[in-house]
Amino acid sequence: MGKIIIFTILALSLLGGLLAMILHLVARKFHVEEDSRIDEIEKLMPGANCGGCGHAGCRAFATACVKEMDIEKNFCPVGGNETMKKVAGVLGLEAVTKEPMVAVVRCGGACSVRPTVTEYGGTASCRVKASLYSSDTACPYGCLGCGDCAGVCASGAIVMNPETGLPEIDENLCAGCGACVKACPKGVIELRKKGPRGMRVFVSCINKDKGPVARKACGAACIGCGKCAKACIHDAIEVTDNVAYIDFTKCKLCKKCVAECPTGAIHAVNFPVLPKKQEEQ
Amino acid sequence: MAKTFPIGGIHPADKKISRDSAIVALPLPPVVYISMCQHIGAPAVPVVTVGQKVRTGEVIAEPGGFVSAYIHSSVTGIVKSIAPRADITGKMVPHIEIETMPDEWVDTVDLSTKIACHIPDDPAAIVEAVKQAGVVGLGGATFPTHVKLTPPPGKVAEYLILNGTECEPYLTSDNRIMVERAEEIVVGAWIINRVLGKQCRCFIGIEENKPDAIEAIKKAIGRLNILSGGIYEIEVVALKKKYPQGGEKQLIRTITGREVKSMALPIDSGAVVQNVATALAVYEAVMKHKPLTTNTLTVTGDCLDDAFQRNYLFRIGTPISFVIDQIGGVPENAAKVISGGPMMGKAVSNLDATLVKGSSAILFLTESQTRRPKETVCIRCGKCADACPMGLEPFLLYRLANAANLEELEKYSVQDCIECGCCLYTCPAGLPLLDKIRLAKADVLGAIRSRKK
Repeated sequence: MGKIIIFTILALSLLGGLLAMILHLVARKFHVEEDSRIDEIEKLMPGANCGGCGHAGCRAFATACVKEMDIEKNFCPVGGNETMKKVAGVLGLEAVTKEPMVAVVRCGGACSVRPTVTEYGGTASCRVKASLYSSDTACPYGCLGCGDCAGVCASGAIVMNPETGLPEIDENLCAGCGACVKACPKGVIELRKKGPRGMRVFVSCINKDKGPVARKACGAACIGCGKCAKACIHDAIEVTDNVAYIDFTKCKLCKKCVAECPTGAIHAVNFPVLPKKQEEQ
Repeated sequence: MAKTFPIGGIHPADKKISRDSAIVALPLPPVVYISMCQHIGAPAVPVVTVGQKVRTGEVIAEPGGFVSAYIHSSVTGIVKSIAPRADITGKMVPHIEIETMPDEWVDTVDLSTKIACHIPDDPAAIVEAVKQAGVVGLGGATFPTHVKLTPPPGKVAEYLILNGTECEPYLTSDNRIMVERAEEIVVGAWIINRVLGKQCRCFIGIEENKPDAIEAIKKAIGRLNILSGGIYEIEVVALKKKYPQGGEKQLIRTITGREVKSMALPIDSGAVVQNVATALAVYEAVMKHKPLTTNTLTVTGDCLDDAFQRNYLFRIGTPISFVIDQIGGVPENAAKVISGGPMMGKAVSNLDATLVKGSSAILFLTESQTRRPKETVCIRCGKCADACPMGLEPFLLYRLANAANLEELEKYSVQDCIECGCCLYTCPAGLPLLDKIRLAKADVLGAIRSRKK
């Protein structure tokens, strides 16, 4: 009895040792030299595999960084400057800083100001809806309200507001990956500079129709009157195709345009509310 | 025994309510808006100026590319504006607005109703006449006919199939023209046959639920053969009532027994399919020098009074709202207006949009007919795969489309989908199969095209 046990243990140990040796030799023979920095960078990544950098996942991004030694072109928008600083450290490159970006919904056409003119009975998908017709409201440019953007957001930053019918983006959760920008068939969402303490000014409309037509379709539409462009002293606003656009690289957040807009299409967010007294003075 | 295609297909109730209503001319609208996008391909380019007087049948726009078509004025009047205007889907498309006056036809047009049957001998002259008349395929795709009549070098048409199936429920305009204008259609068919060459055999496929049309076409062939000494070798084929019997690939399979390969054109299998309405337009273009400015429109629906179930001869550019005025407004319990048939037609989101060359019907559906069943989950019953006339697996494609897996979608031939809607019609789970598959198909076709570049 004892003999059998000893024999079994010996035979199995021998077999195990032999196989381990074969595995070791094979692994040596077929070893692929891989830059260890790829692993290091991958560990630094947020790991969302969102594709916001333009690569198919974090590993592909890390490989591209090491191969191209370029962190200007290969920039992880989700990790932001902090992560990229560490990546730069690994690669021995100078850190590149970019302004953090945030997704902004450029449509203010809530249900209350933009009446529906036809009833859409199809499946609840913006892409399907856009393939069937222009819109269920008189504005063929604005948000369709089926929430494709909320569906693709990996950070759970987008929630459809049932009251307005528009998506709302939680800027603290938004990673700026741009997945929603690609998902929106109408091109309503734009990645814009987050701004100091989140302060930013933007035109919340992309309606290219002439003023009266746009106004009739939606109470919050940009009518392309150009008042904002005249008021802007930084030359940041341009009106093309009957719609104003604020260049966020030029905007100095003076808010002069906000007061000028007759339809309230220009939104200023995260500005501190001034105490009433001060305002009166 | 009526012929049919071997796989898939569905049997919706045919509801040809307006089948016995003779074609009447729609009154002249006070103003027409003629769209520059009435065909597949590049939009036409306007050649008139604001304030100019145009006569009926005059060229108002020229082709904007190789696959494009001439557009003629359907009325006599003054050009009021050339501006973008919303079409039935709300898309802004350039339109020429013409304020109408009493008709004054262009001199070259022969307005007599006598059947002309001396077909010109020169195929090139026929194709040129078809091109000059702005004829496009009236079966739905509105592909410029002169392009289809010029097979690529090395390809020979052995079969010409005239599509008189009208397999969509409700539609009756093709049925009416076959009954009322059979001889013109037969001559038109023979004109097309002459262009395609002597080797080409000619068939007319008609679903067996239209016995009067089958009878009328057969009689017309007989009568024309007595007049001409038997040149019209056209065979009328009765087809089983099954949707989509009129699909180009299904029709070729049914009549010739040949398959059209994936991503191939019908001409690769030696077949050319033309709608009967196109044959009529070809007849008018070649024998009467009359451009395509009118077409037949079915106005129908369960909620429409029997007195208003009509087949109209309309002029292109007539606003849909004007047609609706003729039948006393939108019926009370109509919930949706469709341009075309219930299976492949498009919902009209804007009643001010105008009729185009390819318009075939204005259909009113009730609330209960338009309501979609609640979306639940796929139970793998396989009904959609049984119904698919292309032999695809819609449930699988739907799942792949949701995952945006283009490689697998291509492997499972999403690009062969003919968008007939049989899968959506049969799905007991109410899944938007076609909606998603159609988008996936567009993505895959885009990927294939960019790979070829």
